[in-house]
Amino acid sequence: MKKKLIAVPYYVWAAVFIVVPLLMIAYSAFTDTQGNFTLDNIVQIGKYWPVMLRSVLYALVATVCCLVLGYLLAYFMAQQSERTKTLLMILLMLPMWINFVLRTQAMQDLLDLLQNWLRLADIPLQVSNNPFAVVLGLIYNYLPFMVLPIYTSLEKLDRRVIEAAEDLGANRFNVFRKVILPLTMPGIGSGVIMVFVPTISTFVISEKLGGAKHNLIGNVIQEQFLQVYNPNVGAAISLVMLVLILFILIIFSALDEETKEGLL
Amino acid sequence: MKNIIELKDIHVSFDGEVILDHFNLAIKDKEFVTLLGPSGCGKTTTLRTIAGFVQPQEGRVLFEGQDISKLPAHKRQVNTVFQRYALFPHYNVYENIAFGLRISKTPEEEIEKRVKEMLALVNLKGYEKRNVSSLSGGQQQRVAIARALVNNPKVLLLDEPLGALDLKLRKGMQNELLRIQRQMGITFIYVTHDQEEALTMSDTVVVMKDGLIQQIGTPEDIYNEPANPFVADFIGESNIFGGKMIRDYLVEFEGIEFPCVDAGFGENVAVDVVVRPEDIEILDAQDGMLCGTVETVTFKGVHYEMMVRSDRFLWKIHSIKCREPGDKIAMKIIPEYIHIMKKEAGTVN
Ligand SMILES: Nc1ncnc2c1ncn2[C@@H]1O[C@H](COP(=O)(O)OP(=O)(O)O)[C@@H](O)[C@H]1O
Ligand SMILES: [Mg+2]
Repeated sequence: MKKKLIAVPYYVWAAVFIVVPLLMIAYSAFTDTQGNFTLDNIVQIGKYWPVMLRSVLYALVATVCCLVLGYLLAYFMAQQSERTKTLLMILLMLPMWINFVLRTQAMQDLLDLLQNWLRLADIPLQVSNNPFAVVLGLIYNYLPFMVLPIYTSLEKLDRRVIEAAEDLGANRFNVFRKVILPLTMPGIGSGVIMVFVPTISTFVISEKLGGAKHNLIGNVIQEQFLQVYNPNVGAAISLVMLVLILFILIIFSALDEETKEGLL
Repeated sequence: MKNIIELKDIHVSFDGEVILDHFNLAIKDKEFVTLLGPSGCGKTTTLRTIAGFVQPQEGRVLFEGQDISKLPAHKRQVNTVFQRYALFPHYNVYENIAFGLRISKTPEEEIEKRVKEMLALVNLKGYEKRNVSSLSGGQQQRVAIARALVNNPKVLLLDEPLGALDLKLRKGMQNELLRIQRQMGITFIYVTHDQEEALTMSDTVVVMKDGLIQQIGTPEDIYNEPANPFVADFIGESNIFGGKMIRDYLVEFEGIEFPCVDAGFGENVAVDVVVRPEDIEILDAQDGMLCGTVETVTFKGVHYEMMVRSDRFLWKIHSIKCREPGDKIAMKIIPEYIHIMKKEAGTVN
């Protein structure tokens, strides 16, 4: 009974700030500016499919890169002494204390600088205002969200279980494949969600680093709300994205189950 | 019989603290050897040195005469039953047991056959699909044993395997472990701090203290002929006190001369004397020379434990006869029950 009472503020919070806005989005998506029911908004989304697919693709690439880099970093961190761990943790978190827009602008400036040098050195390599720059920006900004949950699950790992595997003949590769990886799957799962979901709907990074040419679906939604003043279409896109993300996450977790089976 | 494991002059220290001090031990094939000692004396470290998880600063580990000191743990042909089991939480019972066989790429039919055999051996038939966290301590223990034994190791290392079980279960598992060891015909190196467990199960007991071996022998040797007061005190209960060896076969304590069966200490040499509480016979006060007053009496089930104050010492006596506190009694000790040991610093005189 007490537990239920404690949860009440959360239910109120969830109702006011999660359920109600979702219902409002759904309502807007299926109505026109006069509030009459219509499917027009949904139909209009057709022309944004390429942008949507591009967003999914960028987010996937960024998530996979974050996963590989983040796992290596977390693994390295978990093996250090307590002092080094704290230091590395601060270094990892430090950039997050700086304003997101400012950080992204700084990255843009750095890439422009690099681009100038490349041009002067006559190297035909494009590093700014292109998809590469956008994905790089996504990785840079969201890497900590991958590292933290994986690091936590590595820290929780029982040393004795690893020794048990070695004792039974497993070399380092097998220890990783059959013990460490499966036991850190929960960390990987949260990391993937925490990187994939925000990267798929980002708009600041793509706007700054993509040179306005490489718009993602986040930019389109922002445009609909703030420039074209067509919130109904914006809401429809958001709704479709929501379903899409849910769908992709379900595929992820199915893959996760399959890898677990495959690892045996 | 040949030695299967030999530890030669093993020296281990952590952060400058010596854990194993030039440790030498030879273990024969098919032997049940127990490392016995108080917590922190280096038993686990000894096992981990054999398994390959601790690299000693000095010394060598031999396996069937071959130096395996440089071999990593996963290449050593010994398996371990870890303290508190260390089962794989993400695998079920079957997969836990099959782990070693899968690593060695054993064919699937063979794996199935061997895992089935192991489940039968440890009485866990029908538990294949069970999640290991849903098992009781005793069942987890059995899985840990099966997981190690399925690889047909020549040596099984067991680190306080029954430590987490309650008394009744522990007795049952002791018998089962003995049965398994006989049935498989392999060497067991067993770690415990429970002296009774060590005495009932082992062919050979190695008593350790502060990283040093105090005594190696059969359970009977260790119990009946403790090498020093520490062993005497650690193995069962003892009355340990100072005495004087008058000459061979004659010792003096409490101002009385007693015939004994020990010799070779010299004449008029201070020695330590050990008498087990159950080896003292209670007589009426007028029938003996060594007299005392009963201070406390405690009922212990099979016997009574009495603390008896004599002129110089407080004696512990186990007897099925009961006396009341305040009673005057005499104590009779026959020569065979008087154990003489070289004097060590720190015993009560
Ligand atoms: N990895 C380690 N680092 C530092 N000290 C250790 C380590 N392992 C064991 N010790 C110390 O070594 C001593 C012996 O430990 P151990 O072999 O586990 O004893 P036992 O198993 O007999 O209780 C203890 O004092 C323990 O603190
Ligand atoms: Mg121990």
